[in-house]
Amino acid sequence: MDVGTALLGDRPLETPDGFDDGDLDLVLRVRKGDDDAFRSLFDRYAPTAKALAMRVVRHTHLAEEIVQEAFLAVWRNPDGYDEHRGSVRSWLMGTVHHRAVDAVRREESQRRRTEEAVAEGREDQPDHAEQVADEMARPEERRLVRAALDELPNEQRQILEMMYFEGLSQSGIAEKTGLPLGTVKSRTLLGMRRMRVALGGLER
Amino acid sequence: MSARDHATIEELLAARALDGLDGEDAAALEREMSAHGPSCDECRRLEVEFSEVAARLAFALEPLPVDSGMLARILASPGPSSGGAGPSADDDARASGPGDEVAAARRSHRARRTGWVGAVGIAAAVVLLAALVTVRNDGTQPVTRVSSAQRFVPFEGDVGELAMAYTPGEPGAVFWGRDLPDPGAGRVYEIWMVEDDIATSGGCVEPSGGRVGVSVDADIGTTDLMAVTVEPTCSDAPTSDPVFTASLA
Repeated sequence: MDVGTALLGDRPLETPDGFDDGDLDLVLRVRKGDDDAFRSLFDRYAPTAKALAMRVVRHTHLAEEIVQEAFLAVWRNPDGYDEHRGSVRSWLMGTVHHRAVDAVRREESQRRRTEEAVAEGREDQPDHAEQVADEMARPEERRLVRAALDELPNEQRQILEMMYFEGLSQSGIAEKTGLPLGTVKSRTLLGMRRMRVALGGLER
Repeated sequence: MSARDHATIEELLAARALDGLDGEDAAALEREMSAHGPSCDECRRLEVEFSEVAARLAFALEPLPVDSGMLARILASPGPSSGGAGPSADDDARASGPGDEVAAARRSHRARRTGWVGAVGIAAAVVLLAALVTVRNDGTQPVTRVSSAQRFVPFEGDVGELAMAYTPGEPGAVFWGRDLPDPGAGRVYEIWMVEDDIATSGGCVEPSGGRVGVSVDADIGTTDLMAVTVEPTCSDAPTSDPVFTASLA
């Protein structure tokens, strides 16, 4: 079952920015050691991966290491991608996110989670870093996802953001907010269901 | 399968896609999905859909420029068609992710006892080490090449796979494992360095989805034996028998 069928029946998954176009082809080429294919994947996803890692760990060097680690694993083991389990995009972002969350939970007591650390990290961006501007921008996708998040009830959005962007577990959120664990779980599910509809066009 | 059969799975998969599952729930999800089997279309559909939703959340963020040297460093490292690959390396390469390198290491460990060294398996695991070691570096010059001085050590245990790598004479070690049983609610795996029957804690870890990947700053020094126990909390001394051991002698 391919991802398109999984999400939209017999209608291929499409997004305004043409996501997933050619991603599978790139991975297949990477499996044959194609540097250019890997370069394309990297250019396409590394900046967002960096943003995600940075948002979770809030430390520039650690975010860079997480991104490098994730893409190194892709380069070393492109066969790790299983197209029956989702898109290349979800595989890459899932890998990055998982590593970032692991880092957060492992180094919670040592992590510098201050406004100054975040600001310092952003100020330290290497001025020589260059990525294809078009690949970095993806304004339409960003608008779409942000709009979907904004449409969520506040309590659901809060839970999803704490879990995904702050790396908190459900019990961690329950502890931090004082909410019952069951409430956290139900809001997680409801929020994800709404996002699935908003982004995939499905009714559940 | 009735809709009710997947209510629990759907709830757990939604959280897992966000990496929000606690250990107990992660284990519960594995049990539920195992009971349904790998051919359950509904399980697969839920997993794929929630993973896609989670991945797209990342694109709500403004992309950030990446160190321009990173791509070059990655491409300079052995890739999927690097030399030394043989049938066993190809089998390893078809694994589902970095965790499966542990399987390669374990086969190498067993083979070593019979006198044959699985060089490719070790090489594959050592490359993973190169990726993991970067986590604990200060980031100025991430390690992308592994020196021959680094030592790889697979653990022996009844369930699951665990391995470590370290550089003799230098502090720190990297541990990674998969298929690790849930240590139980509120319990952790604790790593011990044993020398002359004295155990020193190297830290505690909690598997996520049965997997761990962690670096510790402990000084391996002249440790004879590494051991892992299940503890109610990070302790000063082991309170139970080891579930994993590895000799460094």
